[in-house]
Amino acid sequence: MSKPVTIIMVEDDEGHARLIERNIRRSGVNNEIKPFTNGTDAINYLFGPDGTGSAHKNDALLILLDLNLPDMSGIDILRRVKENSYVKCAPVVVLTTTDDAQEIKRCYELGCNVYITKPVNYESFANAIRQLGLFFSVIQVPQADT
Amino acid sequence: MPAKAAKRRTLLQVLLLTAGLAVLAVISTASIILVDRARDDSALVTHTVEVENQIAAVLLDTRRAESAVRGYLLTTDSAFLTQHEAAASAARQDINKLRDLTADNPVQINNSLELKAAVEKQLDEFRKIIESVKHNDLPGAIDMVRAPNTGEKTERITELSGVMRQEEDRLFVARTISADHSQKIASLVTIAGSGLVVALAGLSIFLVRQSSRARDRAEAQLRDNYLNLEETIAERTADLREANEEIHRFAYIVSHDLRSPLVNIMGFTSELEELRGDIFKRIAALDSATSATPDSPENATDTAEPVLSEQDTKLSEEFNESLGFIKSSIGKMDRLISAILQLTREGRREFEPVKIDTRELIEGIVATVAHQAAEANAQIRVQPLPEIVSDRLAIEQIFSNLIDNALKYLKTGVPGDIAISGRTKLGFAIFEITDNGRGIDPKDHQRIFELFRRAGAQDRPGQGIGLAHVRALVRRLGGTMSVSSELNSGSTFTITLPTKWTMSKQGKVV
Repeated sequence: MSKPVTIIMVEDDEGHARLIERNIRRSGVNNEIKPFTNGTDAINYLFGPDGTGSAHKNDALLILLDLNLPDMSGIDILRRVKENSYVKCAPVVVLTTTDDAQEIKRCYELGCNVYITKPVNYESFANAIRQLGLFFSVIQVPQADT
Repeated sequence: MPAKAAKRRTLLQVLLLTAGLAVLAVISTASIILVDRARDDSALVTHTVEVENQIAAVLLDTRRAESAVRGYLLTTDSAFLTQHEAAASAARQDINKLRDLTADNPVQINNSLELKAAVEKQLDEFRKIIESVKHNDLPGAIDMVRAPNTGEKTERITELSGVMRQEEDRLFVARTISADHSQKIASLVTIAGSGLVVALAGLSIFLVRQSSRARDRAEAQLRDNYLNLEETIAERTADLREANEEIHRFAYIVSHDLRSPLVNIMGFTSELEELRGDIFKRIAALDSATSATPDSPENATDTAEPVLSEQDTKLSEEFNESLGFIKSSIGKMDRLISAILQLTREGRREFEPVKIDTRELIEGIVATVAHQAAEANAQIRVQPLPEIVSDRLAIEQIFSNLIDNALKYLKTGVPGDIAISGRTKLGFAIFEITDNGRGIDPKDHQRIFELFRRAGAQDRPGQGIGLAHVRALVRRLGGTMSVSSELNSGSTFTITLPTKWTMSKQGKVV
C-alpha cells in the first residue's frame, strides 16, 4: 500500500490520450499517468528490459488499453499482461472505438476487467472517462509481488 | 476443321444414297426390259413349236384324206367319202393356219405356199380319183393311184414339210439360245446391281459409323466444356465472394478508423466550447474592469451570462455559430459512419433459414410502432400473409424499415392508411406494403434504393440508408423488390421472396 497507483495509458492517438487525461484529472484523480503511443514502447515498459516484468515487482499498476495500435493489437498486450506473473493482477481497462461483440467477448475471456467503447459524442465520452476516473479513485489495486 | 469434315461427310452420304437409288433404278429398268425380252423369246420358241405342230397336222390330215380316198376306192362306201371331205377341208384349214403362223418369216411363207400348192395338187388328184370312182371308172381311178407322179407328189409334201421343219428347228435353236442369253444377261445385271447396292450400303454404314463416332467425340467435348464452365463459374463466384468480402472489410476498417479522428474533433470542439465560455467571461471581466463602474472580479466570474459589449456579443455569436456547424457536421458524419458500420456488420452476418409466420412477425412490428402510428393519425392493416422460410432478423428489418418509411412520409393533414398484403406465386411469396402518403416521383424510383440518397422534401430525419439496406437484404434472400408510386398518391413497395430460402440459393456473402 506504500506506492501510489501508476496509470499506464496505451493510446496511439495523442488527441484521445490528451482528452482522456484531461477528463481523468477533472474527476480529481492525480495519480501519475504514463502515456504510450505504441505497443512496443508499452511492452518494453511493462515487462522491463529483461522481458519478465520483474521491474514492476512492487508497483501498483492500472492499465488503460486501446486495441487499435499501429504496431500490434491491444489484445496481444492484454494476453501478455495476463500471462505474466508480476503484472497479471493489474486491472486492465480496455478503452477503444471497437464495439464488435466478438472482440468484447475475447477481451473478457483474456482477463480484461472493464471494456469501454469510446463514444463519438463528446458529452458521453467525457462523462464515461470522468466516471472511469471516479472508479479509479476508489478502486483497490494490488501491488505486483512474488 | 471438324465442321468442314462433317459437311463433307454429309454430302458424301447424300451422294451415296443418290448413287444407290440410281443403281436400283437401273437394275429395275434393265430387269423389266430383260424380262420382257425373255418373254418375247419364249413366245417365239412356243411359236416355233406351234408351227411344227401345224406342219404335222397338215401332213396328218393329208394322209387321212389319202387313206379315206383309198378306202373309198376299195369299198366305194360313201362313208369314206365323207371322211375324205372332212380330212381334206381340215388339211386346207391346217395349211391356211400354217401360212398365217409363218407370216413373220418370208422363207417359211414361201415354203408354206409351196406346201399349200403341193397339198392342193394332191387333193385335186384325190378329187379326180373320187370323180372316176363315182363315174364307175374304177380301173381309171386305180391307174391314177398307180401313176408314178402320185408318189412323187406325196414325197414332195413330205420334203417340203421337212424343209419347213428344218427351218423351224433352226429357229428354235436360235431362239432358245437367244432366250438363254437374255436370261443370263438379266441375272448378270441383277447380280452386279445387287453387289453395287451392297457395296454402297457398306460404304454408307461406314460413313454413318464415322459420323456417330464424331458425334460421340463432340458430346464428350461438350461434357468437358460443361465441366470446365462449371469450374470457371465456381472460380468466378469465389473471386466475387472474395471481392465482396474485401469490400466489406474495407468498409469496416475505413469506417472504424474514421471514427478515431472524429472523437478528437468532437472532443476538442467541445473543449473549445468550454474555453469560449472562459474567454468571453474574461473579456467581460476586463471590459467591466476598464469601464467606469468598477465591479468586483468575483461578481464578473459568478454571473452565468457575462455582460459583453455589442461588438463582443456579435463575436461570441459567430463563435457559437461556427462551433454549431462543426458539431452538427460531426454528428452527421458519425451517423453515416455508424450506418456504414451497421451495413457491413449486417453483410457479414450469416443468415439462418427458419419458418416464419409473417403475419405474426409483422403484427409484432406494428405493435412497436403503434405509438408513432397514433401520433401520425395512421392505421396499419395487416392482411393474411403467407408463411415463408427465411432469415427472421432480415425479414424483420425489411418490414420494419418499410413500415417506418410509410409512417414517416405520410401526407400532412390526411389520416394515414397503410396496408400490408401478401400472396404466393410459383414458389415465391409476394408482399405489398401500400400507403396513401406523399408518394415518390417516378424519376426517383431508382435513386431511393441507393445508399445515402433520398427523395422528396427533406423534412424528416434520416441518412438515406433504410431502403438501400432493405434492398441488400432482399437480394441476399434471393428476392427482388420494386416500387410503384406517383407523387402525392401514395406508394406501393413490392417484395418478392422465395417461399423456401436455403443457404445454397444465395451463398453467404460473409
